[in-house]
Amino acid sequence: MREVVTVQVGGFANFVGSHFWNFQDELLGLADDPAADAAFRAAPLDMDALYRAGETLQGVSTYCPRLVSVGSRGSLGSLSSSGTSGLSSAAAQELKVPTWSGNVTRSVAKPHGRNLFLESLAEGEQKPSTGDGAGNDSQKSVEDKELVECLENGVNFWTDYTKVQYHPQSLYELNGSWTNFDKFDHYGTAREVVSEWSQMEEMNERLRFFVEECDHIQGIQFILDDSGGFSSVAAHYLENIADDYTNTPVLLYCVRDPVTHGPPRTQRESMTRSLHDAVSFSKLSSFCNLMVPIGLPSLSQSYFSPFLSIQDVKPFHSSAVSAAAIHSVTVPFRLQNAGPASNFAHSSGNIDIGELVHIISGQGWQNMVTALDVAMPAPSLTDGNGLWNIKSLHSLTPEISDEDEDPYSVESLVVHGVMLAGGQRASISQVKDSVCSAYEGRSTKPKFSHLSVSPCPLAIPLPFPSIFRSNIGRHGEILSNHSERTQLPKGSLDVESVPMAARLRSSNAILPFIERRSLSLQKLGVARGTLGSQALRDWGFGKEEIEDMSEHLSKMVRMFHPEDGLTSDSD
Amino acid sequence: MSLRVLNPNAEVLNKSAALHMNINAAKGLQDVLRTNLGPKGTIKMLVGGAGDIKLTKDGNTLLKEMQIQNPTAIMIARTAVAQDDTSGDGTTSTVLFIGELMKQSERCIEEGTHPRFLVDGFEVAKRATLEFLEKFKTPVVMGDEPDREMLKMVARTTLRTKLYEGLADQLTDIVLNAVLCVRQKDEPIDLFMVEIMHMRHKFDVDTHLIEGLVLDHGSRHPDMKRRAENCYILTANVSLEYEKSEINAGFFYSNAEQREKMVSAERRQVDERVKKIIELKNKVCSGTDKNFVVINQKGIDPPSLDLLARAGIIALRRAKRRNMERLVLACGGEAINSVDDLTEDCLGWAGLVYEHVLGEEKYTFVENVKNPHSCTILIKGPNDHTIAQIKDAVRDGLRSVKNTVEDEAVVLGAGAFEMAAKKHLMDNVKKTVKGRAQLGVAAFADALLVIPKTLAENSGLDTQDVIVALENEHDRGLVVGLNHHSGEPVDPQMEGIFDNYSVKRQIINSGPIIASQLLLVDEVIRAGRNMRKPT
Ligand SMILES: Nc1ncnc2c1ncn2[C@@H]1O[C@H](COP(=O)(O)OP(=O)(O)OP(=O)(O)O)[C@@H](O)[C@H]1O
Ligand SMILES: [Mg+2]
Repeated sequence: MREVVTVQVGGFANFVGSHFWNFQDELLGLADDPAADAAFRAAPLDMDALYRAGETLQGVSTYCPRLVSVGSRGSLGSLSSSGTSGLSSAAAQELKVPTWSGNVTRSVAKPHGRNLFLESLAEGEQKPSTGDGAGNDSQKSVEDKELVECLENGVNFWTDYTKVQYHPQSLYELNGSWTNFDKFDHYGTAREVVSEWSQMEEMNERLRFFVEECDHIQGIQFILDDSGGFSSVAAHYLENIADDYTNTPVLLYCVRDPVTHGPPRTQRESMTRSLHDAVSFSKLSSFCNLMVPIGLPSLSQSYFSPFLSIQDVKPFHSSAVSAAAIHSVTVPFRLQNAGPASNFAHSSGNIDIGELVHIISGQGWQNMVTALDVAMPAPSLTDGNGLWNIKSLHSLTPEISDEDEDPYSVESLVVHGVMLAGGQRASISQVKDSVCSAYEGRSTKPKFSHLSVSPCPLAIPLPFPSIFRSNIGRHGEILSNHSERTQLPKGSLDVESVPMAARLRSSNAILPFIERRSLSLQKLGVARGTLGSQALRDWGFGKEEIEDMSEHLSKMVRMFHPEDGLTSDSD
Repeated sequence: MSLRVLNPNAEVLNKSAALHMNINAAKGLQDVLRTNLGPKGTIKMLVGGAGDIKLTKDGNTLLKEMQIQNPTAIMIARTAVAQDDTSGDGTTSTVLFIGELMKQSERCIEEGTHPRFLVDGFEVAKRATLEFLEKFKTPVVMGDEPDREMLKMVARTTLRTKLYEGLADQLTDIVLNAVLCVRQKDEPIDLFMVEIMHMRHKFDVDTHLIEGLVLDHGSRHPDMKRRAENCYILTANVSLEYEKSEINAGFFYSNAEQREKMVSAERRQVDERVKKIIELKNKVCSGTDKNFVVINQKGIDPPSLDLLARAGIIALRRAKRRNMERLVLACGGEAINSVDDLTEDCLGWAGLVYEHVLGEEKYTFVENVKNPHSCTILIKGPNDHTIAQIKDAVRDGLRSVKNTVEDEAVVLGAGAFEMAAKKHLMDNVKKTVKGRAQLGVAAFADALLVIPKTLAENSGLDTQDVIVALENEHDRGLVVGLNHHSGEPVDPQMEGIFDNYSVKRQIINSGPIIASQLLLVDEVIRAGRNMRKPT
């Protein structure tokens, strides 16, 4: 087992992270649950990769995510930054001040109320999705329904639906003194925040706490909401990480809330966004090893999945999809090691983050920006003609070309929990054979493709949004004889698990994404005396730095044009 | 818009509306901070919506905690925080002074004086006050042996405005010794070389100075000693873990065997490095009772830990970057980046190294070092917010000592300077100014009194009585401040109440600059409009 440390930075990233950890928490619960599906009880995923065992000052054992989450002040809702629900205001009135003998004034903010879900979690009466005791089953399902509804109707903070116990070092709130986090919408807005030395230092220290414990860290996975000022926070953070943990690979997911894609209201806003996208892409890509942009402008309108019904305005919904995809990507990092002694019937294709980085960016185009394609749910093996349907994968990465005919493309495919048409779980070798023959059938084969397979599907926790269409069955199967089109979307009460497939793909399909950023910077930022270059100066960039960023982007574009002098790895 | 066309005075009205808004914002901020000031000020406990607690007695922290929306207030707050960044103190005074300058100006403006005259007067008064400060300050001679008593009084004055007396006095010696420890001849004092660590502690509050270093982690091998005496210290930034090196990027194992081979080649390289460290250890330690401790900035993996443990070496990994520098200053030796040319000269020394465990938290104490230039202040407190507040106070204390060493001067506190400066302005400066700018000088002089007045107010005294009493003494040529217990005039020199020269200087300097900007409202008018938008 090699450890992964997870970092989450920014609003939407923490929404995604909240779902991600709920999935893990669910798996942990199911592994211990005698009533659970065998695929979960076999514990095919090594949770120690993502979690750490520890103990509190009082000597109580804990098992917490190895996580640093950074958000803006106030974004934790009713959760206190030490990971517990905080002091009541009455208790605060009583607190003694041991350092001062003079007057004390207390100013107590109105406490954030806990929603029904958090209340029930606190009471411990609710053990989500473990059906214990037949006697009170009907009673319990009524309660569960209320909880699910309460989340559908009102999630304000990512902590509103989290069921995970976080370590006291995990949650860090940035205080921008007088930075308005409601208007934290481009790279330049973080100037004050990142100039506060002590805050950046604290973030480094939190990370060091988790890294120091690792005997053999495989890498850092970094989930970032790159739609605004947090890009700049992350770029500074990543730069420090690159300095401090030189050989530790960093896998960066840039996630965006569809809401941030709304049409720009003014020309100035449109320019600001283009510049922001270009600058943050340039900065971030230079401090990580693999970058995965995630976030279509709309999940409800796109062809992303015919089986999902997502409301774009709810980050609770859209973040669930990104989280599921990221969960799938991380599956190979914690498959039990496939050494000579390993049991091949159990899983196949264990790779660590470093190996993934080498596979994807070390050959083909030598490009480190990858598209993420997902099938949620993944179809059963015998769909159609006995081959696994690659076409069921749809991209979550925006602005890429639909073209999928690149002989230099390099990919890593993860398939987990898929079934046979009959409804049984497919064996590892069945999946491998099926996928391989599907690839054989493609007209243009990728240059290199890595496959990881696990029998363990995505377990759907109770606090998961109702985003499945009514033609999805209890185990994520697609109900073919289904006709009632008018039914409401299904959620965690009707769907227990979902087979998934996800693919990271480095191919020239990503080129438009990079080109757009490169062009914006050249057009808007480099030319002197323009509004754009003025804006960049206001954001704190000097002329040289702008030119460097622009050059960095051109270079990334040139990687795809080997005829212009650069050769790609040919072997 | 149409109103503006109809009313030719609209522009002027707007101007004065904006001016009043600036004045109100400055007064508002002053009101929030005034109870903070001095040894009798009020400590504030802020409880957030999720029950998070902040405890603060200083202006700097309070300003940062407040969610200020008003742009004028933000401008003042920024100035005050900048004051703290450069000199480490005086935030509250800055806000009070700016507020009072605006208040005094308001009176004059209501009586028909144009702000321009006030601003001109401020400028004259500011220069005169700065000159006066040069004469008024108390020089402190910093020879080879600094004047400990004087440094102690300055630190104590500051600390007693943040912590109750007993705790403040305990910390006074600690911060003084800490600064003297890191001070090196002919070099600026680098306070980063004083590490501030904290530990949770059941009930009470306690602080210590450790001459040496405390690290917030321990060794990661069960067989390593938890306590050792007479230790060589190797400070290293060398990877002692197997990791894929960059050169192999793009290399693919075609089979498991090849993979194994590569792994073992890498492994050997790491082992070699470990062996070099062990060789040095054997060279310097064998046949003696000495021990050997490696503190590494990079990782150390379990096989390497095993080798080191078997050789009797204590090893810590992932030390924080700044501790590399601190360790060398505390223990001697040098921080090495490669094990190729290891010699005894690279090694530092500590008389005692031991581990302290609190739940899952581990601390390593590196103590009894020779002639250290880095040290650690260890704060124990019952909870995070108490610890954080003590930390803030410790920083203030450290800064006050550093400032004194670098300023080679201090200023009499308890309002004595402000009283004296006021008198000087009224008696000697005002008459040198022509016309209405005199009003500006007088407003400035009156505004200075906000410091003694507020100190009196916070002590529950009658401000007028106190000011009259102080003025009488000053008229008799005695430089006095106020006794915050009785309200009687006292000699701050006798009481040992001293403030930093550079802090005072900066307050006098920046206050009128901001006040003038706020008074000459032309540029501010846009901010004035913004302010009326609903927040
Ligand atoms: N024992 C004392 N008696 C009277 N006045 C004192 C005493 N000690 C300190 N003072 C005065 O208190 C003032 C400093 O108070 P305080 O430290 O609370 O505010 P500040 O330095 O302006 O701002 P901050 O420390 O919040 O950044 C100085 O004017 C100082 O002379
Ligand atoms: Mg002070």
